[in-house]
Amino acid sequence: MIETTSPVNTGSRAALFEAHLGRSPLGFFYFNNRGQMEFINRSGAEIIGWDKSAAGPASLQDVEDIIHCGLTGRFGQILGGESLELSEHQFVNRQGRFVAMNIYCNSFYAEAGVTAGIFALILDVTDSYRKKVRLEETNYILSVISQVSEAVSSTADIDDVLRVILIGVTAQQGLGFNRAFLFLVNNAENCLEGKMAVGPASPEEAVEVWSRLANKHKTLAELLNEYLVSQESGLPRLHHNIQGWKIPLNENTIFAQALHDGKVINIRGRDNVTPESWPAMDRLGADYMVVAPVISKGNRLGLIIADNQITGRRIADSQVELLQTFANHSAVAVERSQLYDKVLERAEELAEKNRQLALSQEQIIRSEKMAVIGELTSSIAHELRNPLTVIGGFANMMLTTGEAGGNSEYLNIIYAETQRAESVIHQVLDFSRASRTPNCEIEFTQMTAKAFEHLLSKMRFSQRRPRFNPGPAGAMVWGNPDQLHHALFQFMWLTVEETTDECQVEITTAFDKDRAKMTIGFTGCDHTRTKVVKTLSQIFGSTTGTQKLSMLVAGETVRCHGGNYGVEGVEANFPSLYVELPIYQGVNKNG
Amino acid sequence: MAKVLIVDDEAHLRLLYKKVLTKDGHQVLDAATGEEALRLVEQETLDVVILDIEMGDTDGLELLKRFKALKPKLPVILNSAYSIYMADFKTWMAEDYIVKSSDIQPLLKKINEVVAI
Repeated sequence: MIETTSPVNTGSRAALFEAHLGRSPLGFFYFNNRGQMEFINRSGAEIIGWDKSAAGPASLQDVEDIIHCGLTGRFGQILGGESLELSEHQFVNRQGRFVAMNIYCNSFYAEAGVTAGIFALILDVTDSYRKKVRLEETNYILSVISQVSEAVSSTADIDDVLRVILIGVTAQQGLGFNRAFLFLVNNAENCLEGKMAVGPASPEEAVEVWSRLANKHKTLAELLNEYLVSQESGLPRLHHNIQGWKIPLNENTIFAQALHDGKVINIRGRDNVTPESWPAMDRLGADYMVVAPVISKGNRLGLIIADNQITGRRIADSQVELLQTFANHSAVAVERSQLYDKVLERAEELAEKNRQLALSQEQIIRSEKMAVIGELTSSIAHELRNPLTVIGGFANMMLTTGEAGGNSEYLNIIYAETQRAESVIHQVLDFSRASRTPNCEIEFTQMTAKAFEHLLSKMRFSQRRPRFNPGPAGAMVWGNPDQLHHALFQFMWLTVEETTDECQVEITTAFDKDRAKMTIGFTGCDHTRTKVVKTLSQIFGSTTGTQKLSMLVAGETVRCHGGNYGVEGVEANFPSLYVELPIYQGVNKNG
Repeated sequence: MAKVLIVDDEAHLRLLYKKVLTKDGHQVLDAATGEEALRLVEQETLDVVILDIEMGDTDGLELLKRFKALKPKLPVILNSAYSIYMADFKTWMAEDYIVKSSDIQPLLKKINEVVAI
């Protein structure tokens, strides 16, 4: 209640008000108890947008028509002593300006107990209101971003990251769009590739989903967490519509433009977009949408497209800004996830390379050992040659010149043994010569064929020829070609030497993705099986020194190349001898 | 009959070759060192030289070069325990390269061939 202590008439009251309140920065107005405006100061007039110089008194309804704060409806109550208080009351004033004001209105008593009218104090709080709204919006978007960031930080899986981002765009607790689509840039094909979509495919689906979500009463963080834990597949129809869809970037579409310009675009119908954009808009099923580029540190990663196609609700400018801010923050998560995928890929490549390097190093070490052994054996062999020449030479000379006397038997033995020793030296020198050849890729079947030809050239005319049935070509092995040739030849030679003509020796080759294999098999009558078994035991456990050394050298050569040999099919009718080598996987070539 | 020079640092080997070649009807001289061999090549009229390659400090291939410098038409047969020198082009100046063996027949056969030419 506002009172004056002395009687004042209407005209002087207005003058009194003007004198005291006319220049106040606060707005004041006074209506008499008949609802006629008797006073409004300059500030009050500015707030309401009132032209003070306009002729004629204004009625309460005139003002109410502008400020819409219930003055006319509550006029009687205010006159009766109630007050009207409104904070941040918003309206558009007579001049079309948006205003937020605080208003305090109470009854005015001219003389004791006599109500003369209502008096109002108004304060323009438009600026602070706008700041407050802005702050609230910022807080809101930060809250959404924070919750989404927390969710994406708990996963590096790109699909999860994209899904969480789009839930943030579409959830009521998030940005509140009906639908959201995410495209990522495919640099190899210079296009935008559809990766993820979230939202109902139809109004019916929307009703079902949104009501289910609303009943959960969950915060955005809870919603996102629920998705990550349960890994729900979402809404397949919308997602399948977009997945793998490619929008070329070299076409003049609104989407390419948004990406190239790095700016959000609010599409309001087809009139303002190029015709090249229409097919994509048809496929999206919307003419009104927001397209926000996803850019991280200047890298154009993709686009988020959001619309309200289900509800048809107009997309406000504030929502457009929110989406761009959100897209900017999401870019980091998208980039991190893509980098994580690349890191995983590289880690796997590195692990594979490390494994191959380890294998290669092992092989190099073995090869080096073989080379050293080769050098050593070569030196020893050569040193032995001179003494053997002398011993055998004298024995032979005595035998041929008749100087043997009664010692010819012993001299024959001496000569035969020196011949045997020289044979061993010859084989060892063959091996050491082979050690000097650099390692390379070798076609296994071809190498086996050459060893077979070598075998045939060494065989006596009377010996039964073995058969060679090569498998398909294409099995590449890595190693010293001369050493391996020598080894394969030795296996074949020992087998043929120990086998009688009752047995037919058959040499075959085969390979799978890991191993190339040579098999020396036998065919013949049943009773020859015993002989085959004896042959194989002689090859591996020969009592004669020469063969044992050849077997040792050949076997060691195979093992040093990462291979293996042995007898298989012992339970079968005719066991066979096999030699296998690892298939070359493309390891670095060391010589 | 031919006059044969055996150059080898192995005494027993020189003895063996001397015995075998003498029995085969040849006149045999021998040298244990390169110096000795060069002196004999210079002073004697030889029909063929049997030359070892690895003789301690003496390099048989260098010696071959010096023999050929002194007497280009003198046939030299390299006789070594090592077969690796076969690939060395310096050995191409020699008439042949025979690896040492207790079976001396190939060496004898070659000597007779060379001498007969």
